[in-house]
Amino acid sequence: MPNAVALKVLVVDDQESVRKMTAMTLEQLGIRHIHEAENGKKAMEIASLQPIDLILSDYYMDEMDGLDLLRAVRGHPVVRRVPFILLTGRGDRELVVKAAQAGVNNYLIKPFTAQVLRQKIEQVMGKLS
Amino acid sequence: MASFEQLKLTFFDECAEGMQQIEQGLSDMREGLGSDDTINAVFRAVHSVKGGAGIFGFESLVGFAHVFETTLDAVRRGDLAATTDVIDVLLASSDVLSDLVQISRAGEAIPVGFGDETRVALENLLGNDSAGNEEAPSDFDGLDFVPVRADASDSDDMSDFDGIEFTPVMADAFADGQRSFEIAFSPNADMLLNGSDPLLLLRQLRQLGELELSAVTDRLPDLQSLRPEIAYLSWTGTLRTEATREQLQDIFDFVGDCEITITEVGAGAAEPAMGGCAASQLPVVDAAPPMAPVAAFAPLQAAMTVDSTPQIVKPIAPPQGSRTSGGAAPAEKATRPAKPQATTTRIELEKIDRVVNMVGELVIAQAMLGQIVHDLPEGVSDRLTQILDEVVHHTRELKDGLMSMRAQAVGSVFQRMPRLVRETAIKVGKKIRLELAGETTEVDRSIIERLTDPLTHIIRNSVDHGIEAPDVRIAAGKSEEGTIRLSAEHRGGRIVIEVSDDGGGINTEKVLQKAREKGLVGADAVLTEDEINNLIMMPGFSTADVVSDISGRGVGMDVVKTNIQEVGGRLSLQSVRGKGTTIQFALPLTLAVMDGMVIKVGRETYVMPMSMIVECLRPPRSHINNLVGTRGVLQLRGDLVPLVYLGDLLDIGSAADLSGECVVIITDAGDGTRLGLVADELCGHQQVVVKSIEESYGPVPGVAAATILGNGSVALILDVEKLSDLASDSSSTVMAQMGNSLAKVA
Repeated sequence: MPNAVALKVLVVDDQESVRKMTAMTLEQLGIRHIHEAENGKKAMEIASLQPIDLILSDYYMDEMDGLDLLRAVRGHPVVRRVPFILLTGRGDRELVVKAAQAGVNNYLIKPFTAQVLRQKIEQVMGKLS
Repeated sequence: MASFEQLKLTFFDECAEGMQQIEQGLSDMREGLGSDDTINAVFRAVHSVKGGAGIFGFESLVGFAHVFETTLDAVRRGDLAATTDVIDVLLASSDVLSDLVQISRAGEAIPVGFGDETRVALENLLGNDSAGNEEAPSDFDGLDFVPVRADASDSDDMSDFDGIEFTPVMADAFADGQRSFEIAFSPNADMLLNGSDPLLLLRQLRQLGELELSAVTDRLPDLQSLRPEIAYLSWTGTLRTEATREQLQDIFDFVGDCEITITEVGAGAAEPAMGGCAASQLPVVDAAPPMAPVAAFAPLQAAMTVDSTPQIVKPIAPPQGSRTSGGAAPAEKATRPAKPQATTTRIELEKIDRVVNMVGELVIAQAMLGQIVHDLPEGVSDRLTQILDEVVHHTRELKDGLMSMRAQAVGSVFQRMPRLVRETAIKVGKKIRLELAGETTEVDRSIIERLTDPLTHIIRNSVDHGIEAPDVRIAAGKSEEGTIRLSAEHRGGRIVIEVSDDGGGINTEKVLQKAREKGLVGADAVLTEDEINNLIMMPGFSTADVVSDISGRGVGMDVVKTNIQEVGGRLSLQSVRGKGTTIQFALPLTLAVMDGMVIKVGRETYVMPMSMIVECLRPPRSHINNLVGTRGVLQLRGDLVPLVYLGDLLDIGSAADLSGECVVIITDAGDGTRLGLVADELCGHQQVVVKSIEESYGPVPGVAAATILGNGSVALILDVEKLSDLASDSSSTVMAQMGNSLAKVA
């Protein structure tokens, strides 16, 4: 039963506007510690140095895309257990299938509401308090 | 946290960058400079626009972007060949998308049917099978994705995992506890080519228990001869697991091109190699959804030991090269290198302007301080002077730093030109390419804003009148496609922009004829070719009359010239019949600060822009011949330079009468003619902060702006070109008028 206020979430997307919108939506759920990264590489840097409880990542990014990030996370001795939710666009079934194979915990279709975000997070982490 | 509205603005800024990337990328592809990275970057940019548009509620933008994105996806997957025709459709789509973004940004409604033609073209390229799904699913149907619960605890308690299916099967038929297997896995050389990825197989092994592997690199050649599609590595290792041998072998069931040996340690004889059986090649990479449930993902609870596999496995290139990021295979043809990304931040321009103002005041205060120190008696001021010098130095650096913050690359204006050329060329039925150079040349924001209009007019003229129709060009022995070259560079403290085309040049006969018709030149005046060319810049000479009527807005070169001169710039033009035309204009680097010469006329102090000054002298009386009234002529190295007494022009009692000493400032009137302005004193050369007085006083002929000098007094900055005009206008009423308005200001 994770406490929303204590959760540390990493949002990965190359578009600042999308990152910030996602952060705003997370805040609506009571989450306060939100890290941002604009690509997989920067995300790995943050994840290996900071305690992170959840990663929300887009797929299409420069430098290291969402799937490669997922694989890197799953292969990292310390970070591999961190729950990972992939943000996808509509029609991206193939991507979700691939992500499932690589160890993703859940997926979210953009654009999403706060309710759907909560639902998906709770599916992975349990009821948010 | 930023508000929704602010984020919307951020999104539109991102769109602007994205559109630029899209257009540049597609142009590169058209030139044959594109690579895998290029199409990927274009795809990503369109995807980003689509994504953001969805979030911020611009549904029609999403619709068009989706079709565009799908087409780009087809291209980058290789399903659709990127021929010139296809790229042209993509470029048109880029234009439509850009317009849709602009309309959305302005908050206006998108006109019915906007972009439909282009959308249909895209759909045709796609063969009409996709591009449907306007409905936004909030979830995928038929996808057996079961979210994996991630528990914070480390326990192996299986009871939390309801509804989750793991493969390989862990639940049933376990034998008695843990076993050890020795595994030797050796892919055939062409395994990768057949779509199998050893990495995934090894991962599946790892899921079963504790795996220790080491790679055998015997077959690995040196880097030069290494082919990434060939599998060179093999592995041996041990797996401690509760799984059965069958379960292990299941992993390799459908993988044909390998040899695999599984030996149970301590459990009897080794079983022989089993690999290479399946007739059907089910590539492990691809999970076919209708078959196995898709929920085959790593359970986070499994005790996975850290093994060395990730590092060793890295050398293998994944089977499909194009989508992975990082380390693209070297392109076979030249590709445009990615521009290095600087760390940037967004600041409101107002904030910068405010700071620039503050520094301007600082410069003035410091100049005043300098004045006071200068006037102090010797000895007292030494230390003070030293410190003041330091202050001056720091202030200058501060000012330079700020000005560079305001500086923008002209590329931001240039980037609109390719589209302008594209669209206008199509309209007039010509084939034209635009070459850009010097896009990174920087200039102050105040100038950037003044560049667009003149540049647009000049380029439009070039397309419309300069470059000939394709058949005309061929008949003239030229290439069918005309070229317009747009360049920018810093030269002599200014920014020089040049537009040159390889068209037909200015039709001097027609120009002369028109000029005669309009009474701009005398019927029998004889003019040089250069002079005829420059006629088109005279007021009243509209381009609509020259050659064609297509650009028919009638905005002529004279307006362009005026716009440029208003900013303190100069325009020049050269044209060669049959070869082409070159138009150059030079602008100051900034309007905010200026190099000025401080002069005194009578008791008044003025500032003249250094850029207008050719030279200053104190000529001996003998060289000055006085003609009518207070006009004179100066003999200067064999030439005669007309003189104008500023005291009279500015209606001030001047000490510079015919007998005393005077200072002559030779200026260039812009068209090469010289004028000597006579003042009383030269006070020195300094940088002045330009302050506009137009808001308070309206435009005053002869006065460009004002500044505050070191002694705290206001000095007017003279508009030298206007003064020359006024000087040549012998009407005394004009001068009196000028005198009146100046009296108001002074």
